[in-house]
Amino acid sequence: MNSIRTRLLVALLALSAVASLLAGALTYQRVLVETSTLFDYQLRQMALSLRNQVSLAPRVQLPADPGDTDFVIQIWDPFGARVYRSRPGLPIVNRAVLGYADLELKGGPWRAFGLQTFDGVIEVAQPARIRESLARSAALRVVVPLLLLLPVLGAAITAVVGGSLRPLRRVAAEVEQRDADSLAPIGPGSLPREIAPLVSELNQLLVRLGRAFAQQRSFIADAAHELRSPLTAVRLQLQLLDRAPDEAARLEARVSLGAAVERATHLIEQLLTLARSEPQDHQVALQPVPLERAAEAAVEDSRVLADARRVDLDLQADPDTRVQGDEEALRTLVRNLVDNAVRYAPPGTQVQVRCRRAHTGAMLEVMDAGPGIPQAERTRAFDRFYRRANSPQGGSGLGLAIVKAIAERHGARVSLSDAPEGGLRVAVAFPQVL
Amino acid sequence: MRVLVVEDDQMIANGLLTALRQDGYAVEWTGDGAAAAAALHTSQFDLVLLDLGLPGRDGLDVLREFRRRGNATPVIIVTARDERRDRVRGLDGGADDYIVKPFDLDELAARMRSLLRRAAGRIERCMRHGGVKLDPAAHTVECSGVPVVLSAHEYAVLEALLQRPGAILSRAQLEDRLYGWDQPVESNAVEVYVHGLRRKLGRDFIYTVRGAGYFVPKQ
Repeated sequence: MNSIRTRLLVALLALSAVASLLAGALTYQRVLVETSTLFDYQLRQMALSLRNQVSLAPRVQLPADPGDTDFVIQIWDPFGARVYRSRPGLPIVNRAVLGYADLELKGGPWRAFGLQTFDGVIEVAQPARIRESLARSAALRVVVPLLLLLPVLGAAITAVVGGSLRPLRRVAAEVEQRDADSLAPIGPGSLPREIAPLVSELNQLLVRLGRAFAQQRSFIADAAHELRSPLTAVRLQLQLLDRAPDEAARLEARVSLGAAVERATHLIEQLLTLARSEPQDHQVALQPVPLERAAEAAVEDSRVLADARRVDLDLQADPDTRVQGDEEALRTLVRNLVDNAVRYAPPGTQVQVRCRRAHTGAMLEVMDAGPGIPQAERTRAFDRFYRRANSPQGGSGLGLAIVKAIAERHGARVSLSDAPEGGLRVAVAFPQVL
Repeated sequence: MRVLVVEDDQMIANGLLTALRQDGYAVEWTGDGAAAAAALHTSQFDLVLLDLGLPGRDGLDVLREFRRRGNATPVIIVTARDERRDRVRGLDGGADDYIVKPFDLDELAARMRSLLRRAAGRIERCMRHGGVKLDPAAHTVECSGVPVVLSAHEYAVLEALLQRPGAILSRAQLEDRLYGWDQPVESNAVEVYVHGLRRKLGRDFIYTVRGAGYFVPKQ
């Protein structure tokens, strides 16, 4: 029964049937009242006319039996003896009434009118079922055509409801054609006021979906494109390994192959990290964590790379710098910043990591003595796969994109500026823990 | 054969350089678009391998300018851009071939040989001169049907001379084809290789023009 059409059809037909029956009942009631008044009047008129006849004529002159009208006339003399009865066969009370009276007899109720005259009582009576059958037939005349019209009404309701639901069916058909590749909004057409909001919401959803799909597609395209370079290097070195003319060449190719595989692995890891850092992925709830602990862990993570590049890592952190966050993600954020700084820092210089408490929240800073990023490129630096010209090898171009994604999840703001040593200063401002 | 590799990815460049040197090419490398334009302006190359996404200046831009100046040196674009639009633009921009990364080294080598052959006006895979037959794909040389073993440098000198019989190549030009910018050139090296070739292929296979250079006579 979960169909608007069926529900409307059943409800409207039931209502119509009830209304028809009600109309019949009312008609019956009214007609009964009206015929009662009429027949009562007739009874009285008949009695009055009999009085005149009886008083004018001798007792032998009796009125003819009215016959087909079912009236029964009785006349009593002043001493209470019945002197006349029009239809002797009918069961009727041998009792005179005065005025109107309802009589309960064996054959059913009767209506009677008795009239006192100078020489007795004239009583005219009639069975009540005459009035009832008149009322009943009047009611049937009303109800039967109405009930006979119900199927027609049903067909009309079906047609009207079907027509009203047509825009809904059109929308459904249009929605059916949508998939990830065609998310065009549903055409406005002429929509009833009841459906228009649904379609408008649906269109907004389609737009959002389309945007999300486009982002996803471009991310995949970018990722596939970026994977080509390390894979090219892997393939090259593999072929060089195959064709190496001597042991020295073979060894060199094997070392280069290892580096190429390492680079591909790093890129894939960074891609996964970025995918996991996207704001829509809320698997871990944020809770108060000490930022300096994440920073310490991240600095340890980068220690090997820093030592290899002869870069000094210096961490200074205020104790108990709490932020509302996901500790693992924060560690990834700091590690990416420190890794970047170490990669760009010239050997023999220092990378400074600072964790400060401020009344507006917590502040993380990473500063290096590298080439920095020119003012004009600072916004683009957060784009995925952004790499500066002549940047060191092995970078994925995803570091700052990951940092930005994680920061956004934490409600933090990332800004780039010049470090005092001339390199890049990255500051991440976390909001206060509530 | 002197090849310029323009590739900003150091790992890929290193691999390419090693492979091309093993094939006997003298290879120069730059990872910057502007530097590539300068190199193409000042030096002569037999073939260029060009990446498109370059710092400094876009590869396609460098190529268009190179062609505008009327230079017909074969250029192969080697890039990660694989869309049809990019390939069409690259070939219309003056490239002779278009290879998408990751590529197969053997295929790249074959495409380079094909372009070099076409540039020299040859139809056949092998270069023939007198009784000498040089196969650039197999890196083998035969003299009157008998295989001759040559050193990589001797082979490179012979290939350069057979490329255009009758044309005189100076010692410097030959050195260019033997060594990259970063490789030290030994003095007398070219004389030593020519001497070796004469010993293996016959005294009067290579002619000397005193003060000018060497050539193999036109047939």
